[in-house]
Amino acid sequence: MSLVQRPKPIANWFLPGILSGMGLTFSKLFWNLVTYVGGNRRIPTLNYPEEKYEYSPRFKGNHVLTVKKDGSLRCTACMLCATNCPADCITIVAAEHNDPTVEKYPISYQIDVLRCVFCGFCEEACPVDAIRMGPEWQTPGLNGASFNYDIMQLAYRPQLKGGIASVVDEKERHEAGI
Amino acid sequence: MSTNTIPCTINGKDVEVKEGSTIIEAMKANGVEIAHYCWHPGLSVAGVCRMCMVEIEGNPRLQIACNTQVVKGMKINNTSDKVKDAVKWTLDFHLINHPLDCPICDQAGECGLQDQYMHYGKYEPEMAEAKVKKHKVVDLGPRVVLDSERCILCSRCVRFTDEVSKTNELGIFNRGDRADISTFPGKPLDNNYSMNTVDICPVGALTSKDFRFRQRAWLLKEHQTVCTGCSTGCSTKVFFNKEGLFRVKPVYNEQVNGHWMCDIGRDVYKFVNKEARLFDAKVSGKGTGAGNGLGAEWILPKRAALKVGETLRANKGKGVALVLTGQHTVEEYDALLGFFKNDLGSDRVFHWVNTVGGGPESLEAFDGLLLRGDRNPNTAGLKESLQKFGIKTQWKELLEGLASGAITTVVVAGPENQTFFPDFKAKVVELSKAPRLIWLTAGKNLDLDNLTGDVTLIPLKSYLEKSGTFVNHAGLRQKIAKGLTIVPNALSLTEVAELFAGREIEAAESCSSIGVGRVQNEATTVRGSL
Ligand code: SF4
Ligand code: SF4
Ligand code: SF4
Ligand code: SF4
Ligand code: FES
Repeated sequence: MSLVQRPKPIANWFLPGILSGMGLTFSKLFWNLVTYVGGNRRIPTLNYPEEKYEYSPRFKGNHVLTVKKDGSLRCTACMLCATNCPADCITIVAAEHNDPTVEKYPISYQIDVLRCVFCGFCEEACPVDAIRMGPEWQTPGLNGASFNYDIMQLAYRPQLKGGIASVVDEKERHEAGI
Repeated sequence: MSTNTIPCTINGKDVEVKEGSTIIEAMKANGVEIAHYCWHPGLSVAGVCRMCMVEIEGNPRLQIACNTQVVKGMKINNTSDKVKDAVKWTLDFHLINHPLDCPICDQAGECGLQDQYMHYGKYEPEMAEAKVKKHKVVDLGPRVVLDSERCILCSRCVRFTDEVSKTNELGIFNRGDRADISTFPGKPLDNNYSMNTVDICPVGALTSKDFRFRQRAWLLKEHQTVCTGCSTGCSTKVFFNKEGLFRVKPVYNEQVNGHWMCDIGRDVYKFVNKEARLFDAKVSGKGTGAGNGLGAEWILPKRAALKVGETLRANKGKGVALVLTGQHTVEEYDALLGFFKNDLGSDRVFHWVNTVGGGPESLEAFDGLLLRGDRNPNTAGLKESLQKFGIKTQWKELLEGLASGAITTVVVAGPENQTFFPDFKAKVVELSKAPRLIWLTAGKNLDLDNLTGDVTLIPLKSYLEKSGTFVNHAGLRQKIAKGLTIVPNALSLTEVAELFAGREIEAAESCSSIGVGRVQNEATTVRGSL
């Protein structure tokens, strides 16, 4: 259970809060400018792009659509991710698969990544580990259209080297009688 | 059945119920929730799913509510722990061989198994055996697909084809956990009521081919209306979201259609969707760019109607004829007839009678269940209005008038649903003989587009975009309400009549629009604060 913390009446006195916040900001600025540690200033900036920061493996970056062992998309087009997405940026068109054991698959899967807030709700909603948030975050593009990711981009972009395999395997589950 | 009532107690509340009713009927009548799969108010009692368990005081064992009659003073309970436990494990039995298909199952979101699992279940399955595999994606007929693994053998669909459609296509074959719903060789499920089996199937075993995989149930909104497929006027609801309309389902209406509707009526949403619609008024011929070799002009419907009205009034209605179909509402007929009769003083109003099954006698056809030969929702209403305005005309008078040149302008309030007008093309040819043709139509049509000469096409609202009254074959007046907007600038005939008369119309009240820009993700924003 999560308890909602309602703001107390004292919070209405916002000026002291603002002033103390600004105080903190400016004291940090001042001390970072004037103090040196081991001959370096303490300002933690990087000379990007020569220097790159290593994010934690849990970083939620660009989406990846996972694939099955045969390389086809794992996604079953259930639209749970699209339902759960607070930015409403996932558009899926489902279709009937020729293989009756697959039945439903997405004939088009698009993420409008400029609308995406990288919350990871899509990843959490997916029942079959078909969508994950990958580690990439450097995604330049020439115009708006290059940020509307389609299946080719989401599942088979060169960086993924043929695709990321899903942990859920339908065949194995069928054989196990689930 | 007698109309006497008897006292009994349901969940500790004293109620009066109809004598001879079963416990489940008594509970439904008093708004008490009870789990059930096989019982359906429109079908006979089967008592096979065992979900409707109730505890009756003085009875050591639980009973099924659907096949037990209420007797005087009976004390019934379906909220005790004993009942809940029984329902829970009955549900577990139903789910022993059930596949984990919800992500690809069209029933998800409106599934009896999901609902009852959330209500009574929430257990860990305790079955160690492997699931029995059955047939998937079985083609039962032109409109229905079966997934045997999802079937819980409630036999509703079998009873429907036995008792309602009386076509007996479906049966349960084999026994035990290999039992299977199927059809007989060479006899597909192909009757005009087959999609009702999809509605009554409490799980996702029977699904509609037309709706298959197109949307998820929870992404759709509903709007209740009246079917325009024939003069029976079944109560229906349409399901839509911002991408368009996706399906039609029946709504219970004791006076008209009971629990059912026919398959033909389920297709009516297709002519309302934006792909089938005319969006702007098209003016061609004299006074437009057409004469200068610029082709037709596309303008705002309102402007086109005002312009047409001006010329109609300038000629004092000389040589003007009006053609009406049985597809519009009573209010619209009255408004348009009022304009023609009072403002133009014209009596030349003609009823375009459409027959889908041959001669005029086919208008009286009735399949014994719901579908009627007259495929218009409001023929009776049109006749009523014509009578009210004292109009008695024959179609041949229109043809004579056109031939002799007495009729120079024809205004056609064309059909909304062109599929029920097999003579559409012929009528377009016939009526385009008029020197000036004004065709009001909801749907676009190639024959109309190809017309040259002095032709004005004005887009009309469909039956979902306006309010009004339909009178069905038996004279029952049914109200329809505006539920959504598909073509923002389209006009109703009432508005057309106002504009013809030179009066401004007020802006339309707002409601859900289809395909107009991007809105918030309704699926998540209505969920409340996180
Ligand atoms: S990360 Fe969040 S906003 Fe982005 S697509 Fe997934 S659910 Fe939508
Ligand atoms: S990515 Fe996952 S949640 Fe989204 S449609 Fe595909 S299977 Fe469903
Ligand atoms: S029938 Fe119901 S429980 Fe079964 S797969 Fe379909 S939605 Fe899920
Ligand atoms: S197909 Fe559906 S309606 Fe028919 S028996 Fe199975 S669960 Fe019941
Ligand atoms: S509803 Fe009573 S046994 Fe099925």
